[in-house]
Amino acid sequence: MDPAPTSSGKATASSSTGTPVAAAAAGIPTEFPAGLRVLLVDDDATCLKIIDMMLRKCHYDVTTCSCAATALSMLRKRKGWFDLVLSDVYMPDMDGFKLLERIGLEMDLPVIMMSSDDHKDVVMKGVTHGAVDYLIKPVRIEPLKNIWQHVVRKKRFELRELEHSGSLEESEREDERHKRAMEEGDNATSGCAEHSKNIKRKKEAKEEDEQDVDEQADPSQTKKPRVVWSSELHQQFVTAVNQLGIDKAVPKKILELMKVAGLTRENVASHLQKYRLYLRRLSVPQHQDRLDGHFTSAQEATFRSVGTVDGFDLQALAVSGQLLPQNLSALSSGSRRVTNTGLRMPVFDEMGFLNSGNASCTSPASVQQMNRGLSYFSGYSNSSDSRQLGQSHQLVEPYGNMCLQVGEEISGLLNLPSPQTTRSSLPGGISNEQVNRSLIMQMSQQGPQFSLSQQHENFHGQPFPRGQIFNVIGGHDSRLSSKFGHQMSPNDISSHISGRTANIAQTPLPGNQISASYSSVPQALYANNIHDSCLTESAASHYPLASSIGDTPATGNLEALSNTSSLKGVTDLSNCNMYSELRQNKTQDWKLETVTISYQSGQNLAPKQNKADFGSSLLANQDSIAAVQDESSGNTCTVRKENLSVTTEIEDDKIERVAQCNSTINSIRLKSESMPDIKHQEVLYDNIISNDLMDVGKQQQEGIIGQDDPEFFDAYSLENISM
Amino acid sequence: MFIYTTPVYRLSLALQGFLDEQFYQLEELQDESSPNFVEEVVTLFFRDSSRLMANIDQALEQCPPDFHRLDKFLHRLKGSASSIGAGKMKNECAGFREFCSEENLEGCLRSFQKVKKEHTILRQKLENYFQLLRQVVPVDKATRSGS
Repeated sequence: MDPAPTSSGKATASSSTGTPVAAAAAGIPTEFPAGLRVLLVDDDATCLKIIDMMLRKCHYDVTTCSCAATALSMLRKRKGWFDLVLSDVYMPDMDGFKLLERIGLEMDLPVIMMSSDDHKDVVMKGVTHGAVDYLIKPVRIEPLKNIWQHVVRKKRFELRELEHSGSLEESEREDERHKRAMEEGDNATSGCAEHSKNIKRKKEAKEEDEQDVDEQADPSQTKKPRVVWSSELHQQFVTAVNQLGIDKAVPKKILELMKVAGLTRENVASHLQKYRLYLRRLSVPQHQDRLDGHFTSAQEATFRSVGTVDGFDLQALAVSGQLLPQNLSALSSGSRRVTNTGLRMPVFDEMGFLNSGNASCTSPASVQQMNRGLSYFSGYSNSSDSRQLGQSHQLVEPYGNMCLQVGEEISGLLNLPSPQTTRSSLPGGISNEQVNRSLIMQMSQQGPQFSLSQQHENFHGQPFPRGQIFNVIGGHDSRLSSKFGHQMSPNDISSHISGRTANIAQTPLPGNQISASYSSVPQALYANNIHDSCLTESAASHYPLASSIGDTPATGNLEALSNTSSLKGVTDLSNCNMYSELRQNKTQDWKLETVTISYQSGQNLAPKQNKADFGSSLLANQDSIAAVQDESSGNTCTVRKENLSVTTEIEDDKIERVAQCNSTINSIRLKSESMPDIKHQEVLYDNIISNDLMDVGKQQQEGIIGQDDPEFFDAYSLENISM
Repeated sequence: MFIYTTPVYRLSLALQGFLDEQFYQLEELQDESSPNFVEEVVTLFFRDSSRLMANIDQALEQCPPDFHRLDKFLHRLKGSASSIGAGKMKNECAGFREFCSEENLEGCLRSFQKVKKEHTILRQKLENYFQLLRQVVPVDKATRSGS
């Protein structure tokens, strides 16, 4: 198996050009989707381990979590790090659907749900909550091999939105160019090094552009004073748009109609883009409502009404400073307005839905989400809060996230921050923290889209370096690309990145800076924190250490066997004691011992009689181990009696079988040096071997062995054991 | 080369219905970098499932029994069992859940006994299987280290 994906990711990210070949030579896949960063959330440790291994087999970069709260905090801490989330539906601490909603709202990542529950209504629930896919457990590796498509699809949609935005001509040009590139990518198979190099070059070129812009003292084109889309302004805007007709509404004309001083065509253009996105989203929920009438719960129904807005203690929220005053008024009036215009605010209901259980637990995140959602309509100024970023990472989400709740058809709309974000340049050498901050700034620059808590209005009224938007988005994408995009196949991701950077053409940035910042940051993140945090936060979900294996009865069984001297006719109690001891101590030992066991066929076998004896004692051990097992689950019993009865039955057959084994198992060798009684163990193993290897013709033995098992069972079933 | 990882042995288990295709999937996941993957997973499973079953035991002893809670345990147990390919046990769990949804305590108790039985049998079989695997070493390796 290839080394951990991160190491391969590091290798590709830090190298410039020749890596794909080198890495490929080492057998490490380097092209997308290798290295895809997946967050896996499942409370079942067994499933977690299995799916984790499957994902690693797909060469993804997997982080595991066994509880939803941990997952959320990890997502928030590593904003932009993850590409995809895989989550179980039924979890003890948080409903998987709630987690899904949260992630959609805050991080706008594609989320795939999993469950052994395949009932249609549950699957539908996943869909309506915005899951991009729903896998039925037990999960096989094949569907996991394709989950990367959801990441790509999301980005593609984004790019398409960018094209439709009608914003900067340059961006349009770039969009088309990159759309073509994407389509090329679609046709080409992954692994086209040349193409990926082209894409890489393109991307770097864009990054250079962005960084250059950022370095300018005051690039008039990119650093604009933030526009506050107040409710009045927005109303003017909507009026103008309606006057022109939504299809004919172009920024220039809207600007003329609005007659607002100081408003630039670009401001209008960006706002128009968002507005269009929002309208598009609305058209789907309407259908969704009809469809969902049967399936959704009452909560989800209110999801789409605005009624739950009232469920919030708006005043309290406003007073607490969490809810922007503007938004408060918007909420009060917004419901009416929303209802009138037919617009929906799913996020409000979302909040109601999420917080219905506890009105007082409106987290900053939820409030911010509310603020954000409101701000779209009321066009309130954004206040970004870098600190709050740490709390809730709704940064990267546009309106799309609001709609995430609305329906699965809109999942395509769930894109990363609207194209405007991509029209930013990237300040060079930005650190991870700066990335976060830039995310906030990006959000603020988005204008009415995002309204974070006003507690820290760091960027209020400040010109927002557009470059930082790309930093964020690009951070997400360029990470993808930088990590494995240098050799990235001509897929959409790199094209997207290039496309985005193209939009930011005004502010070119040195490509190396961007790569450096992202290659170093994510890796640092991963290297230092994710592992640790994963380990600390979800230790239980990680692979059990070797010692834990000793906890199992299986191990205990072998350990008991390894001390065969005590086996013969030994009391069950001693076995039990051994078991508890061995549990902790001897896992490694027996493992080593067993490895060195070799079996000399036929020659070292003890006399038949002994074999039979030890075979029976071994069986007895198993009985006693079974007894121990039962002990661990609360039952106590001795199986001594049963040993005897079993023994007699087995003896005769064993002898026969052993003889047969000798002839059939020549290639197996068990070394007996460290295990004095190993030869006796051989008998048992012979039986196992012979039992299972023999062809159907030897059913007699199998039958007998088969009889053994129920007897084993009966031996330690509570009812049957006589003490 | 491990001749006992051949499908013959697995087949015997599978034919008896204890393990299904999913177990094979697990074995496919095992490789040089994770040589004990299957056993680790199985170990995890038995550890978790034993705990779950103890919880179910408790829940069944409650008066009146909390069927909702029982169902949650069962869902989890069934999911775990299916994830390692324990077909028989999964089916018994499904039956148990049926009784649970009907709030049929008698049926629950009966089917729980079946679940426990399947659980134990499976554990035994898998223990045997892993013992077997441990006993087998590559022939060349044994030759080198042998006397």
